[in-house]
Amino acid sequence: MIEINHSCTCNGNPLVPQVCRITDIRSETGDVKTFRAQTLDGKRPFLPMPGQLGMWSMPGIGEAMFSITAFGEDWIESSIKSVGELTEAMHELSVGDFVGLRGPYGNGFPADALKGSDILFIGGGIGAAPVRSLIRWCALHREQYGRFDIVCGARTIDDVPFREDFFENWPSMDNTEVHITVDRKTDNWDGSVAFIPDYVETLALPPENRKVVMCGPSIMIRLTTERLAKLGFARGDIITSMETRMKCGIGKCGRCNIGSKYVCLDGPVFTLTELDELPAE
Amino acid sequence: MRLKKEDLNKILALLAKNRELFVPGQVRGIKQFKLWDGETPELDGENTVLPPKDILFPKTEKMYAYKTGTETEISEIVDAPERVIFGIRACDMHSIECMDSVFIREGYEDSFYARRRAKSLIVAVACPGAGVNCFCESMGLDPDAAPGADIFLSGGGEFYGVTANTEKGETELKKWTQYLTDGDVPKGEAHCSLAPAMSPELSEKLTGLFDDDEFWQEVTEPCLQCGTCSFVCPTCYCFDINQSSVGDEGVAFRCWDSCMFSDYNQNAGGHNTRPTKKQRLRNRYLHKLAYFNERHGMELCVGCGRCINKCPAHLDIAEFIDKAAEVCHD
Amino acid sequence: MSDIQSALHKRARALLENGDVEYVIGWENARGENKTRPAFIRRAEDAERLVWNRWCVNSTAKYLLHDRWPKGKIAICARGCDTRAINRMLSDGQVKRENIYILGIPCAGVENQICRRCAHRNPLVYDELLGEPAEEKTDFDRFEKVKEMQAMTLEQRRQMWEDEFTKCIRCYACRNVCPACNCRECYADQYRTGWQGKQFNAVENRVYGLTRAYHVGDRCIECGECERVCPMDLPIMLQTGRMLMECNELFGQYECGLSDDETPALGTYNLNDADSFG
Repeated sequence: MIEINHSCTCNGNPLVPQVCRITDIRSETGDVKTFRAQTLDGKRPFLPMPGQLGMWSMPGIGEAMFSITAFGEDWIESSIKSVGELTEAMHELSVGDFVGLRGPYGNGFPADALKGSDILFIGGGIGAAPVRSLIRWCALHREQYGRFDIVCGARTIDDVPFREDFFENWPSMDNTEVHITVDRKTDNWDGSVAFIPDYVETLALPPENRKVVMCGPSIMIRLTTERLAKLGFARGDIITSMETRMKCGIGKCGRCNIGSKYVCLDGPVFTLTELDELPAE
Repeated sequence: MRLKKEDLNKILALLAKNRELFVPGQVRGIKQFKLWDGETPELDGENTVLPPKDILFPKTEKMYAYKTGTETEISEIVDAPERVIFGIRACDMHSIECMDSVFIREGYEDSFYARRRAKSLIVAVACPGAGVNCFCESMGLDPDAAPGADIFLSGGGEFYGVTANTEKGETELKKWTQYLTDGDVPKGEAHCSLAPAMSPELSEKLTGLFDDDEFWQEVTEPCLQCGTCSFVCPTCYCFDINQSSVGDEGVAFRCWDSCMFSDYNQNAGGHNTRPTKKQRLRNRYLHKLAYFNERHGMELCVGCGRCINKCPAHLDIAEFIDKAAEVCHD
Repeated sequence: MSDIQSALHKRARALLENGDVEYVIGWENARGENKTRPAFIRRAEDAERLVWNRWCVNSTAKYLLHDRWPKGKIAICARGCDTRAINRMLSDGQVKRENIYILGIPCAGVENQICRRCAHRNPLVYDELLGEPAEEKTDFDRFEKVKEMQAMTLEQRRQMWEDEFTKCIRCYACRNVCPACNCRECYADQYRTGWQGKQFNAVENRVYGLTRAYHVGDRCIECGECERVCPMDLPIMLQTGRMLMECNELFGQYECGLSDDETPALGTYNLNDADSFG
């Protein structure tokens, strides 16, 4: 059973963003871009824990919450899929443009509670984004964790995000194996073609001293969980990060509740056992 | 200490000095809290149609101004005038305690609410007589008590009993001394019209009804999914955040929202987490009567009856409580 | 009225017992005196819960839109106004006649001011009529209130609407109860478009009020539900009434919801139009 600390931290007036500048934009896949930002005086906007959220805004257009997928000494970044008005506008931004940022929000992954365990990371599509933040964090303290298996599932090989991490950085990490699987075969891929639930089942990793961190579409989570149960994984050892509409980020505006819990405040990270206890909205 | 009711306007004049004083009265035929205009406030009769929450949690509140263009600037908007809310009843006072718990006590402090709250003095008055759909006593309140108010004017008859509950209230009372005399005031006689079977046990059991689809279908079917109940409710505090620009300048504001609206849980990708009226109204009732209790140790319903008075489909939260109690205790 | 009520019980029970309909929409008593609410009766043994009396003020027709693809037929208690609402929705292609079984209810008026100006006390369309037809009334001026408003000066009218829109809390009850407001998605809910600002102020409230008036003004069936449900007592019928009066003057006798294949005045293209095009 994993202990998750359901408290979060945030600076200043939590509802007013600080002006930041885009310092880097990378195209991950056809509709996902990673944006890196820092404050106007060249600092990191805030220090996020892996899995925590940041509210990105474009003054005049709107704001929306995204997982902070990575951070450095003086920057943070999020990977954003173009699905709505704000995200479409963000995809038009260039390096040097301004955005607003506030956060961090939410509890983040239980990086401490995972120490000593083997970890199976699973990211489906853009779900790889929150998982990435935890892998990067764990990589900084690699010796404190056991074996890593990192599963990335994408529609085709060209839809795999964070290519540098998946193809270069993580495969070369100690005691780590990266597994890529795609839904559809293309000429440039001769690896696994399978949906994540099937793939994870064939991997057949033993559940002993192993935790699972899994993010992706809800159908993927549900089906993969069934297969993991077959392999003997307990629901309390499976962690996921929820995604839902948020406005304030601090548990006030009411929008993201599931029963008495607020995803922005008590989540977004929950074990499946914790989710089982919430009403099925 | 007590105060002769006929001296009320003199007290109001004191309260209005250098401050915005809100009292119950008619505005275009609707009873609500309005700036005191020197007239005697409408303390008797039914409670105001609109709750006083707008004074602390405005329908639309500007949060920050921004400029875009070659440079982008964001500057917080601070707007928290000195205010007095006079003449609110036990139910509405308790609704402010609910909002205090949300905006100030639990988790992050909401600067906008906290600033307004700190600059407000609240003078509550004993309930003069319940409305047709009142049930504050069932929600654990006493129509002749408002422990959360800075100053409470209690009792019936020609005098008010005067008590300060806070330091702010005590300081204020020092200005009133020439109008205050010693003496007792009889306990107010107002009692609620309704007595739904609300109890802490029911609050705990309610979430157990979550999956009873037939129960919720029956309860929620007449609902038209408008926002009337939320907007006349003194405790509903949900808000939306939006922006409004002219050219390259604009403001971000927050405004009241209702969990009954179809776009409330609409995600950018099109998915809606509560697409049906059954899910929405169930969430509203359970939030009021169960979920809020889990976090804040009190219900988010004060029994004022406004939603019952105004629901277009004649839905009735007091009737819901009884119905749920019947099912839960079976 | 009790004759109608007992006929209603008998018929509702039979329809449900025979499986002719999935459920019956009508009214039932709510807690407290003189109060009913819309009822949705699914079991034959619950048929007696249905009531018909002068406190049955809620329009029933709008609920047909809450169940656009019913599993079986829906039986609906419908007064004159409710049948006009059903015709409205049939004309607008929002519901299918074969999905509805109409229990027509003659109505001499319920506890609602609007009933004083009702020209259709009997159902205009029904599968069966419960009770004897009610006597129709003509001794009123349909546009009396609108004419009172028109008699005001421009400045008085401007001030009046300024005051009313200041009062509005945009709860959207008027829209949600209105049978002519039958868009799948209201423009005001299309938050991505920004057509309807979210601010609560007189400007945005006016945008909403006037947009709605234009959207439904030539299709309004004059049931008065918008005014009944308005928690802030806005005289909403004056807006649609003004539109109807105009249509009436321009196009001759103009009433909506009298048949199931009407095209609204502003939705009609006619080369013989009194005004030139362009």
